[in-house]
Amino acid sequence: MHELSVATALLERCENLDAEPGATRVARVRVAVGELSSVDPELLRLAWEALVADGPHRGARLEVDWCPARQTCAACGEVRERQPGTWLRLCPNCGAPLRVAGGDELDLLQVEFAGPGESLATEESRC
Amino acid sequence: MLSTEARQRILEENEAAARELRERFEHEGTLVVDLISAPGSGKTALLEETARRLGRRLRLGCVVGDVATERDAARLAAAGLPTRQIVTGGACHLDARVVRDAVDAAHFGPLDVLFVENVGNLVCPAAYALGEDFKIVLLSVTEGQDKPFKYPGIFSRAKVALVTKADLLPYVHFDVAVARDEIQVLNGEARVLLLSSTSGVGMDAWCDLLLEQFEAKRGLAPTP
Repeated sequence: MHELSVATALLERCENLDAEPGATRVARVRVAVGELSSVDPELLRLAWEALVADGPHRGARLEVDWCPARQTCAACGEVRERQPGTWLRLCPNCGAPLRVAGGDELDLLQVEFAGPGESLATEESRC
Repeated sequence: MLSTEARQRILEENEAAARELRERFEHEGTLVVDLISAPGSGKTALLEETARRLGRRLRLGCVVGDVATERDAARLAAAGLPTRQIVTGGACHLDARVVRDAVDAAHFGPLDVLFVENVGNLVCPAAYALGEDFKIVLLSVTEGQDKPFKYPGIFSRAKVALVTKADLLPYVHFDVAVARDEIQVLNGEARVLLLSSTSGVGMDAWCDLLLEQFEAKRGLAPTP
């Protein structure tokens, strides 16, 4: 299980961003995790929570956009019938072999920073 | 509250280290392959037999990762393959940094092919670039023909899939065609080879594939 390594790398990415002085506490992080990334979103969330539990980023929320892989046909385009976790062998429309695309996302998308005394609850209520 | 939007790879630090390694191997003309499989699929046995068959023809080297012990390095050295062991002490995968440190410490000299034998694990290693030209996944016939769809991360990514321990086919329920079909669904360009390090079946095709990939790589390297 390597989600702790990924969560650690994620925190380092956040800390390397140019936050403004006075707003260096990570409040919320949004990431994209693909179906084929070999990372489990729930385990990543657990690892993240364990990582930030003690320290300057306590309470920082992790939000995961889960990205399914796609199967595409060269002639017919994306196969909409495909359900995540299952694979079609041939295009249901024309019978041609399919290509797997996407699903390998493992990206930091957005970080929200707060000041040391700033309430994180305030940001939630604004949403 | 300040919000920053900047899409970047979470594992960018590893990917940057992998890119540096890749450039170094490009410059040296070394073909690098990352072997990934569950524990016991036959990675070490494959490398032992590969070293016996190709060791006089190509300059081979290996870095091997294990959670504990240096057993694999000892086996490979006995087969004539210069090897550096990485003991991860708990990490379930190799990353570019530990591979770089191992290669630096090994002092292999100029290599034609560097094998990276990853920690036995079909999940985590798939996420980490190591500077390799491509990843190779091994699946032994004792593991079941339904594994590719169960591990789509690695089977969609590996350029080569080796179905190993073919000598055991008479004793297990393993339909090679079913496994091959699942692999091709996940990666239509994957080359699938059936082989046995023990009996030798399929080993010629495997060695031919390595030679072909090495020659293709060397064609791109600057003339010394």
